[in-house]
Amino acid sequence: MIAWTAIPALLLVLVVAPLLPGIATKTKSWLTGRRGPPVLQLYFDLGKLWRKRSTYSRTTTWMFRLAPLALLVTSVGAACLLPLDGRSALLGFRGDFIAFASLLAVGRFALVLAGLDTGSSFEGMGASRDATFATFAEPALFLGFVTLFLISGNLSLTGMLGVGAGLLSAWIGGGGHAAPALALITISLFLVLLAETSRVPVDDPATHLELTMIHEVIVLDHSGPDLACILYSSAVKLAVLGALVVGVLVPRTALPAPLTGLVFTGGLVLVAVAIGIVESVMARLRLSRVPQFLVAAAVLSTLGALLVLVR
Amino acid sequence: MTLFFLGLGLILAGGAFAWLLQRTRIADSVFALLVSLGCAAALIPAAGVLGGRTVAGVAWDLGPPTGIWAFDIDALSALFVAVVLGVGLAAVLYGISYLAPEREHRSVGGTHFLTALFLVAMALVVTARATIPFLIAWELMALSAYLLVVFEDEQREVRRAGLIYLAATHIGTLALVAMFALWGTHAGGFTFDAFSRSALPAGAGAAVLSLALLGFGFKAGLVPLHFWLPGAHAAAPSHISALMSGVMIKTGIYGLLRVISLIGGAPPWWSWTVLALGALSGVLGVLWALAQHDLKRLLAYHSIENIGIILLGVGTGALGIAYGRPALALLGFAGAVLHTANHAVFKSLLFMGAGTVFRATGTRAMDRLGGLARHMPLTWILFLIGSVAIVGLPPLNGFVSEWLVFLGMLQAGAALGPVRAAVLGAGVLALIGGLALACFAKVGGVVFLGEPRSESAAKGREAGPGYIAPMAALALACVAIGLLAPPAVRIALEVAATVAGAAGPARQDVIAPLTAAASGITVVSGGLVVLIGLAWAWRRMLERRRPSAWTETWACGYNGVAGRMQYTAASYAAPLLAAFARLSGIRVARAPGAFHTHPFDLVLERLVLPTWRRMAGTAEAIRPLQQGRLQTYLLYIVGVLLALLLYLWLGGAA
Repeated sequence: MIAWTAIPALLLVLVVAPLLPGIATKTKSWLTGRRGPPVLQLYFDLGKLWRKRSTYSRTTTWMFRLAPLALLVTSVGAACLLPLDGRSALLGFRGDFIAFASLLAVGRFALVLAGLDTGSSFEGMGASRDATFATFAEPALFLGFVTLFLISGNLSLTGMLGVGAGLLSAWIGGGGHAAPALALITISLFLVLLAETSRVPVDDPATHLELTMIHEVIVLDHSGPDLACILYSSAVKLAVLGALVVGVLVPRTALPAPLTGLVFTGGLVLVAVAIGIVESVMARLRLSRVPQFLVAAAVLSTLGALLVLVR
Repeated sequence: MTLFFLGLGLILAGGAFAWLLQRTRIADSVFALLVSLGCAAALIPAAGVLGGRTVAGVAWDLGPPTGIWAFDIDALSALFVAVVLGVGLAAVLYGISYLAPEREHRSVGGTHFLTALFLVAMALVVTARATIPFLIAWELMALSAYLLVVFEDEQREVRRAGLIYLAATHIGTLALVAMFALWGTHAGGFTFDAFSRSALPAGAGAAVLSLALLGFGFKAGLVPLHFWLPGAHAAAPSHISALMSGVMIKTGIYGLLRVISLIGGAPPWWSWTVLALGALSGVLGVLWALAQHDLKRLLAYHSIENIGIILLGVGTGALGIAYGRPALALLGFAGAVLHTANHAVFKSLLFMGAGTVFRATGTRAMDRLGGLARHMPLTWILFLIGSVAIVGLPPLNGFVSEWLVFLGMLQAGAALGPVRAAVLGAGVLALIGGLALACFAKVGGVVFLGEPRSESAAKGREAGPGYIAPMAALALACVAIGLLAPPAVRIALEVAATVAGAAGPARQDVIAPLTAAASGITVVSGGLVVLIGLAWAWRRMLERRRPSAWTETWACGYNGVAGRMQYTAASYAAPLLAAFARLSGIRVARAPGAFHTHPFDLVLERLVLPTWRRMAGTAEAIRPLQQGRLQTYLLYIVGVLLALLLYLWLGGAA
């Protein structure tokens, strides 16, 4: 149930996670003809915030101070449940994918409550939007897992993505409609990633107007080490969901061990580049259109599930 | 069994003392003591059965007209007895403190007696093994609940809610009477033993199952038979709401499971219907909950949602029997019974929290509350525990049972044939989970966090230990079941095995690996608690080195957050409600500078009440016949006699 061999890959993800938003931003800058901030900018930001002190509003309670820590623990916890090295997760058991999704939900629950804790309408707005869009993302994520289960016949993430999943043979044509189903859920999971990590077209991390923000506005009052926790957790969440997409797209059990780390890191970088490309070629959606975007993701997942269901 | 009946007797005696001694000071202590003793005594045999022992059932033949009175406790009954009396005890103890302020102008002792009667009736419902005692206990439960609902009968709203409840519950009872009559005629006896021995012909079996779904469905409050539920639960005193929502509606689930186990399964069409009704109740329940402005009505709609989740489990289990997949049956039923127990615990906790808020502030309108966490820290933590549990998040008990229901649905996907389609229900369950999270973040945030939205909210102060202790006990149960997932899962699977009638190695093949997998939940939940605790300690240490500054909320430079400027419950829920307006029937009305949502019940106001009005209108047409004057009725008699004579004279008798 516990595989210690997964620790190097886990540490790798925790270390390189803050790189990914930097790569996405750099890609966007290049494509739009600007120089952009350094790729390592988030590391600098985290370091600076870490040395500062936090400022709290007198309206807030312990909930406001707990949320960044809950976010940090749940993001790292979710990473522990994913087979990051392409073989097995640090912790795996039947139905661990439910725990994976629920851990991310715990972090969101804490953050939404922290937003409402400030008593500011801006944060209330962010809380409302965050909760709304996450609701629509949830079925897409779960139906993606359902499809993976139907293909692999395994109820744990290790069995779905790592050892014994047979994703490679599924991709290259074994087992009926498995390949198109996998393609559909890869797209769906990428759309979920864009929504869950507050990226264009759902949210624009570069916006300067509070009224149009989602993630940025919910953390408007967090500062110092607390903000550092939130920014780092968001980066880890991006890496974790990116690892999920890479895990489906690039089965690595057949590769020799040293190569898997390289391929995995390359995959994560490609996901970040893809995010950057999406951000440069399209604008964010109107808020009332976002649910449709996520319903589309859920429909893709459902189609994927149906394809393997009717084999 | 003797101990069980002794316990029930003690509970009733406690209620009687509370009533008779209500003018004296010792009434409350005697009541609390006797009910605690009674619940403890009656829980011992139930705990024994859940631990693997058996209890000898009893049966008395009382002759005509009522026939055999039989009672027994098997694993299914034992779980429900534990729910009824365990949660019931907490509710009774809470009720003593909750009703104390009313002592001056109401018969509080009488209410305590009715509460005791209500508990005993529910305990008898889940242990009865013959038609007559079952129906008598069922009616006793329904009527005592009605009398408890109309506690504040000077309010028009309360009387209306009580009346709707009374009508609905009796339509349900009518269906049950028809079901038992039909079943008894075919089985040649009215004990459950006779039912289980007989094989029903297909047509009669279908009729029995349909009537069971109707009768027990009314009690469980599944959509569209839920229309009595929100009104009644909101109108009752808070500890009675806790009992009704947490325990009473579960007797409907018990009935369905009992019928399945007596018939030995259900055909596919019935199982699919239950699954579909579960999905409908789950999604609509939580959507309607989101639209509520009244804290207790919101919680009541969440009961409909959770009944939906339970029915998803029941439907999956029934599909398992129908298609001959014992593993699927075990998982589905196990998810259903564990979620039943869990929901009883956290929903009672939440209703008690709502009652505490009501006592502290005098209002249940969420848009007039806010900022209560500051002055009611314990109530807030306990309410938060209930919220995290009901959303189904680790490290609490709701997560364990939703995990089981999810696994049951996925297990369906591993099978061959049409049952595979049930796997798509996982998407519905995920949607329900997401909506519930949004809704309880709203409740916690709007009621307890931020700034007070009214004078009365600012006045709110922490409640006494009489309120806190029962809630703390329930919260502890939430944590315990969440962290001790393996034994909880094993017990749920054993109970499911009695429903599914599975035995032998097939059963162990499912139970052992699942119990092992559940220890993974313990690792995740325990790890979550420990790591967040460590992170908190570390962060506070860091803070000691670099003390934090305290100031106003930033709010983009506009200093001066006022309570009324905050996001309200309505504004928070508006985007979600707007997105689902087609489905829920709730419109978000926008006007320049204002918008509002009108929470109304689609089924009650569009279907039930119009039908009733039309019926009353039709009745109006024949009203002139009934004038209440003796002469008119004599005239009718003479008229009918003449008509009959005329009929005979014309030779109709031939």
